[in-house]
Amino acid sequence: MKTDSLIAALAADTTPERPMGRVLWPALVLALAVAVLVVRGSLGFRADLAASLAEPLSVVRFVLTGALGALGLRLALVMARPEGRALSGLLSLALPVAVALGLWVWAYGTTPPEGRQMALVGKTMVTCLVMIPLLSVLPVAAIVLALRQGATTTPALAGFAAGLGGSGLAAMVYAMHCTEDSPMFYVTWYGLAIAGVTLVATLIGARLLRW
Amino acid sequence: MDDWGTLLAAANSGDGRAYTAFLRTITPVLRGVVRAKGATLGEAVCEEVLQEVLLAVHLKRHTWQSDAPVRPWLYAIARYKVVDAFRSRGARIEVPIEDFSEVLPADAGPDPTEATDMARMIGLLDDRAGRLVRMIGLEGASVAEAGLALKMTEGAVRVALHRAFKTLAALRERHLE
Repeated sequence: MKTDSLIAALAADTTPERPMGRVLWPALVLALAVAVLVVRGSLGFRADLAASLAEPLSVVRFVLTGALGALGLRLALVMARPEGRALSGLLSLALPVAVALGLWVWAYGTTPPEGRQMALVGKTMVTCLVMIPLLSVLPVAAIVLALRQGATTTPALAGFAAGLGGSGLAAMVYAMHCTEDSPMFYVTWYGLAIAGVTLVATLIGARLLRW
Repeated sequence: MDDWGTLLAAANSGDGRAYTAFLRTITPVLRGVVRAKGATLGEAVCEEVLQEVLLAVHLKRHTWQSDAPVRPWLYAIARYKVVDAFRSRGARIEVPIEDFSEVLPADAGPDPTEATDMARMIGLLDDRAGRLVRMIGLEGASVAEAGLALKMTEGAVRVALHRAFKTLAALRERHLE
């Protein structure tokens, strides 16, 4: 087939594709709503949720996970475009990560030696490591689905961003249940759960986001 | 907004003429890029790769944001697809993005190269979709004429045509693995 013929055929196809945003926002809102309902139905919100919002160390959990989620989502939106550049998006992740690590060190220093073991392991480590990845499935899937409407030229990196965005937001939802307010606990285990989901999403993205 | 941007913006809001003009404008530039990168593979293979790039641009044209410049967007797609296409033909190449602006546009030449790959892919489509693409592309039929010939409504022709191109890209992707 001559290229002119192909052009003629392509030009006759005027059906528009759905823009990415039309897939992303409804799917993501739905996924997060389901996550909230699952936490509320299966684990329940923490009894002192309202009161805990006056406790800075508790609120920081929402801020840090929310920041990772939002920055991941923003990176995903940038990487969805063929010409998207990752550098500034990746650099912006340094701030919440540095704050989280700083908090961990600060908490380690201010926790009496005999209390450190307890602060680190807490009472709900297993629940946390199981629930955050489970709650991440739908939000990450929603972002990956939307990215398939885009045209990333870096599939693995786009998968990374989707994983970080989805699991960050999922961890924020989980924090409504979790009563562990020591940074030694949440930086470690939330961080590990988010890192794990992000790694898997990177591998999935490398396959699913090729076009 | 430059001339390419004006054309693509009109194309994306459904102006078929502007879209044809856009594709005709970018084709020599993309052909120059592909040939510069794949000179050793011969003009026929280069034309096949060019057609893959055009198909990709077509299916992803909605990812261009009308407030962004067209060239970086277009070259990013071209780069991604050219690397992919040459890799599938056993030639690993590097395509630094800066090269694109220095490449001279290339015409198909007095005897336009007949690329066989796309024709083979179209042969893999189901019968009606294949006929549709060939009628409109090779015989220059309009959507309405193709509909009459195949006893389909215009709407059905549009849906089938769009689906045919998505299938072509998917076939190509599977072909690469």
